[in-house]
Amino acid sequence: MDTRRLVLVGFVAILLVSAVLVVGCARRAEMEPGTAVVPPAPVEPPASAETIRQIGSTTVLPIAEAWQKKFSETHPSVKIAVSGGGSGAGIEALISGTCEVASSSREIKDKEREQAAAAGVSPVEHIIAHDGIAVVVHPSNPVSELSIEQLSDMFTGKIRNWKDVGGQSGEIQIISRDSASGTYEAFKELVVTLNKTDKERDYAAEALKQASNQAVLTSVAQTKAAIGYIGLGYLDETVKALRVIPMGGGTAVEVTADAVLDGTYPVSRALYMYTNGEPTGIVKEYLDWGKGPEGQAIVAGLGFVPISK
Amino acid sequence: MRKHIAAKNRRHVWEWLIERLTQIAGLLAIVFVLLIFAFLLRDALPVLAQYPLSELLGGTRWSPTAEPEKFGMLPLMLGSLYVTAGALLLAVPLGLACAVFVAEVAPKRVREMLKPAVELLAAIPSVVFGFLGLLLIGPWLADKLDLPIGQFAALGSLILAFMALPTIVSVSEDAIRAVPVALRENSLALGATDWQTICRAVLPAARSGIIAAVMLGLGRAIGETMTVLMVTGNAAVIPRGLLGFLRPVRTMTATIAAEMGETAFRTPHYHALFAVGLILLLITFLTNTIADVVVRRAGRVGS
Repeated sequence: MDTRRLVLVGFVAILLVSAVLVVGCARRAEMEPGTAVVPPAPVEPPASAETIRQIGSTTVLPIAEAWQKKFSETHPSVKIAVSGGGSGAGIEALISGTCEVASSSREIKDKEREQAAAAGVSPVEHIIAHDGIAVVVHPSNPVSELSIEQLSDMFTGKIRNWKDVGGQSGEIQIISRDSASGTYEAFKELVVTLNKTDKERDYAAEALKQASNQAVLTSVAQTKAAIGYIGLGYLDETVKALRVIPMGGGTAVEVTADAVLDGTYPVSRALYMYTNGEPTGIVKEYLDWGKGPEGQAIVAGLGFVPISK
Repeated sequence: MRKHIAAKNRRHVWEWLIERLTQIAGLLAIVFVLLIFAFLLRDALPVLAQYPLSELLGGTRWSPTAEPEKFGMLPLMLGSLYVTAGALLLAVPLGLACAVFVAEVAPKRVREMLKPAVELLAAIPSVVFGFLGLLLIGPWLADKLDLPIGQFAALGSLILAFMALPTIVSVSEDAIRAVPVALRENSLALGATDWQTICRAVLPAARSGIIAAVMLGLGRAIGETMTVLMVTGNAAVIPRGLLGFLRPVRTMTATIAAEMGETAFRTPHYHALFAVGLILLLITFLTNTIADVVVRRAGRVGS
């Protein structure tokens, strides 16, 4: 009991002393304006400073952030402000004029084009990278190819056993990203909803939700009956990537950078940045740099597919 | 003489100041709780107004990105219930036994080593526990028990039990040690054995402290986020029966943590997550209140 009171008194005493100190210091600074307590006025940015505001897709966010960092090294006078919010939020910001560059993991919708036209904005599309989503299973799984239709049935819970798709009997364990992920949305669009032809379809409630590509990879590598999906850049030999048959049939395609680039691999998409009209000045310089060798090296380093080799 | 009075007055002022300061500190705690509650309520209101409560609390499907979106919280609440109940089932007997051993049975030297060791358990960050569960214990258990996947409710319970253990041991050990020696001596003098003394005299006397320990452990378990996010699989399904423990579940805390980061500001999904937080707060508030009432009643009966 005594120690408790002692601690309390000590605590209050510290509070009081610090309060007195703060007040005292402030007063001293007031009285002696000549002393160097007040920091010098911040250096005004040079008049040539320009700002690029970039808002949009969380999938594109790592690219945008890495570009910003690297580009700022050679262009110290340019201020680039990058934020996420989703593809829709980015395009909305472009239309309302609150950003110069909108990043998006999907093409702009017709409805958004109409809104833009009404606001006097003309969005210009720049493809800045491609992204392939690999469908992965445990290395011991005998299944090596599946169609988009089969994958959709598996991820929605219509097909629940591997023997229905030519594998060994066993309950399919669906391993998904959590709903905050851009990959979750993309895979839902391209596979689960059969390329948006059946919007009623949604991931089965039984699907496990993992917070990162790495977590999906680990879970699939540990689980014999698992199926999951990850960004191409995360693929390694601990899991087996399936060949995917496009919708409506055809030959199964292996997930490779080439197959993503020429569009034959069905679970792939382009990543975009949009500007209002053809970019000029520093925005043009920034996007050209991004589409050039330096920017594309960053794209490849982050596990995405560069726009050309 | 005058000097003496001045000193006395000064002391009075000082006393008064200290009293007021502690009073403010005490009241601040209440203000904080009320403010947190108010802000949660404010951001949860839009979704509470849009969907009937029966659909939010009784809905069996949580799929915030579906069209139309569904915010049924039943799977999340049951997920939290399963994981927390499992954790308490493991941690309470183990923790209580450990506390009895440390307080009553162990020789002094063993006690001096054991207590810091148990308390060290509390210093391990939850993400480390999560890693152990996800990469080592989960796959191992799945292999031994022939489970389809190494992420399930009971794994969360197991690891949470370890995390709640230090709280339970520490608080209940203090409660047991606070039992007056006279009580023990009386019991022994009446011819009771050591074990009879512990379980019929000491433990009942320490009851209120032990209940407090269990409730603190419960609070730790139900509020834990990182570990359950990593090891329970996060599938928003309704767990059924005892087998539900061996299946993936999704807790309320894990849902908020996983989805809040990328949810667009002020969308129904955003507000729904605040509603989950609000319900979580209400649940912990309720358990704390119940514990308080129980402790008070136990205290009265004990004396």
